[in-house]
Order: sequence, then C-alpha cells, then structure tokens
Amino acid sequence: MSETAVEDLLISQIRRGDEAAWRDLIARFEGRLLGYVEQRLRNRAASEDVVQETFVGFLLSLPNFDGDRPLESYLFTIAAHKLTDYLRRTGRRPTIPLQSSNESSSEIPLAGPYRGASTLARSGERRELESAALAKALRTIADKWRAKGEWEKLRCAELLLVAGQPNKQVAAALGWSEQSVANLKFDLLERLTRELTRQKLNPEVFPELESRR
Amino acid sequence: MSDPELEAFLDEGLPPERMSALEEALRNDAALRDRAARIIARRNSGAHSVAEIWRTARISCATRAEWGQYLLGVLDEGHAEYLRFHLETLGCRYCTANVADLQAQQQALAAAANAVQERRKKYFASSAGLLKK
Repeated sequence: MSETAVEDLLISQIRRGDEAAWRDLIARFEGRLLGYVEQRLRNRAASEDVVQETFVGFLLSLPNFDGDRPLESYLFTIAAHKLTDYLRRTGRRPTIPLQSSNESSSEIPLAGPYRGASTLARSGERRELESAALAKALRTIADKWRAKGEWEKLRCAELLLVAGQPNKQVAAALGWSEQSVANLKFDLLERLTRELTRQKLNPEVFPELESRR
Repeated sequence: MSDPELEAFLDEGLPPERMSALEEALRNDAALRDRAARIIARRNSGAHSVAEIWRTARISCATRAEWGQYLLGVLDEGHAEYLRFHLETLGCRYCTANVADLQAQQQALAAAANAVQERRKKYFASSAGLLKK
C-alpha cells in the first residue's frame, strides 16, 4: 500500500473516531513537527506544547480537511500558524500593520505589479482551484527536470523563486551566464502562462503572468 | 530582502536564523514593515504569486523516502548534491525537520541494536562456562 493510501485510510478511520488510528498518526508525524518547531524555539517544553496544539487544531479542522492535499503539508501549515501565535504571545514576532503607513485605507497598495483588490474578489474555493492548477503545472515542469537529472535547473528555479535572488546572483551561484538564467526564467513563466490560458483561468489573479500576455 | 523571502517569513518558512534577523529588522525598519503590509494586502486581495505557490506546494521538496535514501548514501551524486543544496543552502524548514526526525529514528534503532548486542553478550558470558567441554 502506498504512503498516500495508508494516510487516506488513517484519515477515514480517524473520522470514525478510531483511537488506534489517531495514535498511529501522532506517532508518524510528531517527530518531524517537533523538529520544525524546535528549530525555531530552541526550547523542548514550549515546542512540545506547540505540537500538541497542532494536533488539537488538526482534529478540530478535520471536517474541512481536503483529502487531495498532502497530509504532511497540511500538518506543517497548522504548526506554522500555532508557532506564529506562540511567537506573537511571547512578544518575539513583531506585529505587521494591515496597511502601509503612507496610504489611505480606501486604497490598499499591492506589492509589485499587483492591481486594485476590488477587481479580484471571488470565493475561497476558486482561489484554491487557481493555486492548485498553477502548482500542478509547476510540478509537471519540476518532475521533468528530476526525471532527466537536470538538478541545476531545479536549483536555478529555487534560487529565483524561493530565495527571490536576482538573475545576476543566481548566475554567479550556479556558474551560469546571466542569459542562461534569464532563459530558464522566461521558459518557466512562458509555460505557466500557456497553462493558464489552456485552463481558462482569470489572468488578473496571476499578475506576474498577466503582464506577459 | 526579496519579496519571496518576506512572503516566506509571513508563513514561518525561512531558516530560523533568517527568521530571527527579519523579526529584528521589522521592529526597526518602517519601510520593511510597509513592504510586508503590501504583501499581506496583495494576499488578501486574492492575487497569487508564483513563488508563493512554488513554496507552499513544496514543488522542490524531496519525499521522506528520498531523504531516507539520502541519509543511507545510496543516491547518485547529482541527486544527493541537489538535496544537500535544498537542505543546507536553501535551508528548507520542512525538509530539515524531516531529516532531523529520520536521523533521530536511525540513532534510536542503532541504540536499540547495541542494547540487544550487549544483552546477548551478558547472557553468553554468564552461561558459556556451563557448556560441555
């Protein structure tokens, strides 16, 4: 049985109130969740409390858990929220204002090329569908690189997208030319844009891609 | 400080040292707080960013099975080098947590195996003298 099938079975048993299944899920995930929280808090007792809150949060949110979503990522997301709450309560995490200091509340400024918020209003389900579609397209690209052993392309994409480094810095880190980095970025965004068009998704919700159309 | 890094900060997704450095910077830098506020506003408006989707969908994270193979040293060099980069250079928090957990399990198994060996040695030492010569 695959790992996903085992997790699906566990979830269905837990939904029915099976205590053994719940124990099993805790045993499977508590170590990695504790690792994630403790990296940050460097305090075992406080970290264990946050992980405990994570499991409670998971059970409370179980009716809304979408089985299509990887269980581990879902648990990490809950842990991140609980950890952020803890850091706020203990005064470690600074409060971010809900609007920038030099703008009026009637017009919320958006980062980068983003446009007015009012144009984008839609349901949470719709937003989930959009991000899932783009994630699927990104995964297809990344899986092709993996299958071909093109690890440098994955590194390049991570430095560009996850670290947000400029082309020049990425080129220096990989020993590539700036043009090669720019080409990979162009190809990646081009393929995503095509996928967006194919799926008839509203381009306004992907501002980086909309500007390419 | 790039926007993707600020986005990752808001999701508790940067390496711990970077998270702490950003917390300090946000306390002292009004312009940085404004940028973070703009990102929150963009998210609340419903606009997606490619970087955010890449990170939250964990497009480049390895599976737990892959990390197990990495720790056993059975992956080919290119693959292992990439995973090392993901862990050490990019500092992926989720994969770091998985690797730490797998290492703890390996250590526990090794300790248990040692305990079994020690127990067997003790049984043997206390009884072998009774074997028929």
